[in-house]
Amino acid sequence: MHARLRSIAVGIAIAAAGIGAGAQQLTEIKVSFQPAVYWALPFYVATEKGFWAEAGLKPVFSTFPAGVPQIAASASKSWDVGGTGSVPAVLGAARYSLLTIGITNDESVGNALLATGAKADGFLKNPQSIKGQTIVLTANSTGDYSVQSCLAKWGLKKTDVTIKSMGQAEIMSAMSSNNADLGGLWAPNIYTVEEKIGAKVICSGKDAGAIVPGAIVVRADYAKEQPQNVAKFLAVYLRALKWMNGHRNEAIAMMKKFYEIGGVTISEASMRKEFDTRPVFDLAAQLKIMNRAGGNSEVDKWMTQIGGFMKGAGTLPEVPAASRYITDEYMTLVDKDPKLKAFANRAD
Amino acid sequence: MREGSDRGIRIAVGAATLAALAALWTAATTLEQWIAPVYFPTPQEVGNALRQIVLQGYADGRLHEHFLQSCKLVLYGFAAAVSVGVPLGMLMGWSRRAEALVNPAFLLLRPIPPLAWIPLAIVWLGLGDAAKVLVIWFAAFVPAVINSYAGVRSIEPYLIEAARSLGATRGMMVREVLIPGALPLVFTGLRLSLQACWTTLIAGELIGAITGLGHLLYQAGLDLYPAMIVVGMVAVALAGGLMTALLAWAEKRSMPWRTS
Amino acid sequence: MTQAVLSRREFFRLTAAGFLGFFGVWAVLAASGLVQTLFLPSPLEVAGKFFELTQKPFVGYTLQQHLLSSFGRFAMGFGLAVVIGIPLGLLMGWFRWLDRIVTPLFDALRFVAPIAWVPFAALWFGTGIGGPVLIIFSGAFPPCVINAYRGARYVEVRYIEAAQTLGAGHWRIITEVLLPGSIPSIVAGLRVSAGLGWQSLIGAELIVASSGIGYLMVKGQSNLSTSTVMSGMIAIGIVGFAIDLLLRALEARIERRGG
Repeated sequence: MHARLRSIAVGIAIAAAGIGAGAQQLTEIKVSFQPAVYWALPFYVATEKGFWAEAGLKPVFSTFPAGVPQIAASASKSWDVGGTGSVPAVLGAARYSLLTIGITNDESVGNALLATGAKADGFLKNPQSIKGQTIVLTANSTGDYSVQSCLAKWGLKKTDVTIKSMGQAEIMSAMSSNNADLGGLWAPNIYTVEEKIGAKVICSGKDAGAIVPGAIVVRADYAKEQPQNVAKFLAVYLRALKWMNGHRNEAIAMMKKFYEIGGVTISEASMRKEFDTRPVFDLAAQLKIMNRAGGNSEVDKWMTQIGGFMKGAGTLPEVPAASRYITDEYMTLVDKDPKLKAFANRAD
Repeated sequence: MREGSDRGIRIAVGAATLAALAALWTAATTLEQWIAPVYFPTPQEVGNALRQIVLQGYADGRLHEHFLQSCKLVLYGFAAAVSVGVPLGMLMGWSRRAEALVNPAFLLLRPIPPLAWIPLAIVWLGLGDAAKVLVIWFAAFVPAVINSYAGVRSIEPYLIEAARSLGATRGMMVREVLIPGALPLVFTGLRLSLQACWTTLIAGELIGAITGLGHLLYQAGLDLYPAMIVVGMVAVALAGGLMTALLAWAEKRSMPWRTS
Repeated sequence: MTQAVLSRREFFRLTAAGFLGFFGVWAVLAASGLVQTLFLPSPLEVAGKFFELTQKPFVGYTLQQHLLSSFGRFAMGFGLAVVIGIPLGLLMGWFRWLDRIVTPLFDALRFVAPIAWVPFAALWFGTGIGGPVLIIFSGAFPPCVINAYRGARYVEVRYIEAAQTLGAGHWRIITEVLLPGSIPSIVAGLRVSAGLGWQSLIGAELIVASSGIGYLMVKGQSNLSTSTVMSGMIAIGIVGFAIDLLLRALEARIERRGG
């Protein structure tokens, strides 16, 4: 009831502002994401807080269980903009014309190799003993990338272990029934197995020195047709991120609701961990990590590394050139427009 | 007597159809571009994918390795499904008591998708072949039961009465009346069952497969590699077609009285 | 027909015994402590979860709402398969040339798993309803065609000859001789087809993760909640059971009218 009253109040405020600004109409924009992941929370926050309407947008959401069907659905123009993992983002760049226009978060900690409780200490003490073991992971994912980075850090080759590829849910089933000792998972699945079966993280992407970013993406033809909408979309996302970090407790309450809709129940402590371990980037930071003034940008390097991993796995014949699909053009649009820039930097 | 020439025509028409389809495909994707390459691969892309998987391998194996592994799984699943499904179906068709007793469990379990068994198959049987065969079995055993059941029920009552009045023993009844009478539908069931094995292969191989055509299709799906998906589909179709041809041969051998 | 028909009472007694036996074995296994709850929760636990799911939304909707959205997709895909498959099968059973043209294509396609079409469905239809319908259709279609075809082929030649002597044309032979003659086979096919269509649902619901019983189960699995998964299985089982019951009622009605 309270929320409804508030949203009505916000609505009235917007309407008033709209009249003042010359009655602008809301433009529809099709937004895609995956349910119950940290980087998708800003979409939910923006809806709850009325940021979309304030920016003149009316989002139509579609959600996907994983990055690959999400990318595939972009081919039929089912969505315009969205957030996804870095591996699907590179895949989308190579297969279709998907542009990466920003970074949702640094999820290097949120992708890890875990072991069941009974075996974890042994592996932690002596990572070399992983040699000859079976690891279950979701091939071609950020989880896979992190596990491979971990193996490399220990001086182990892909052929030193047996890798079985399965979906995240299957991995969790296998680990919970002791049919697999080692699994590659991402958050919040990591927290689920930590809490419910006492599994432990052996090595995360961060531990292995790999940066695993999450990508903000747009269909290239949409970006060309509606650059203004893309800029507004970015501004909404950035503002929601700011708000989340400025209002931690309220944001966690929203996360709880958001995760519940997505069918994930983890403890509040784990939710706080999500906030603590995943760096996000505001407008200035986004522009910085995408700046190509000194050659390749940070983002170029991260994504090209991931492209290299995908080539190594046989998914891509060539690593897509970063300049072809990573662009700060739309972040710059936000930066150049004083109104949007102020909007993106607001924390309320 | 017309068998030979009919077969010839059949093959000729079949080949012509496939050729026409291939021509249409080439025209649609390459020459005229009615279909954008994003939506369906061109023949050339498929050729490249085929070369890649035959020579270098893809999804952790070369084509023949995937092929053989899947054939093995399907044969296990099919054998398990037939050896349970056909006797059970015939029993249910013959005995109304058995039907009433078994039906509840059968009807409750039957509609559950093979994919839905994956979580339980993993926790029960782990990540080996057994779990995959279990998933395949669940799909394949249903048509075997239903059609064997229908087969027995479709036997004309007068045949059974006649056999009875001639003093047929139970064994004779089964051998001489029930099995031959039910056989056409039993074979329909076996065909569907074999098909179910193949169509469930992907689901089965979602359980931590290292090689296999289902694994190949899954991986190609993850890679958004339509040309490789087409290669995998064709390989599955060929393998399935081959096994069905064997089954059809067995059907003909076992029902010599049905020559048409 | 085979054995004498059971009395109503005996039928119900045995059916009840079958149900009780099924749940009894399950309950004993779960209670014995031989298997962990994670592996096999007790029937009571699952019943409790089932009830909870009907009351409290999980992944956005209650169980009924998930079922309804699944059923809508199923009905469209299955309906399409029946409407196209049965006439096609009958026509193939009568016209040799059609049989020769369609069979090779059909024989190739029917081995391809419905979920193998998932990537294409996502590519072609995106988030539209077309994707799930395509996948259910590809599961439900083959048994419709095969059983109608084989039913038509196995109609006794003397009936066809009799009809021909009486001057019946193609249309009348197909609708008045082949169709009634292949009803048992068609209904058996429909039952398999409905089962396979239902089974393709989960694959269909992997495309768009927003609702549906398949989605509920996948989410239950990633929550390591076996009782949620089994509640989903039971819900699917009950609806599948109801569909089968309907088809059998249809079968009985046709038999009565025909006999």
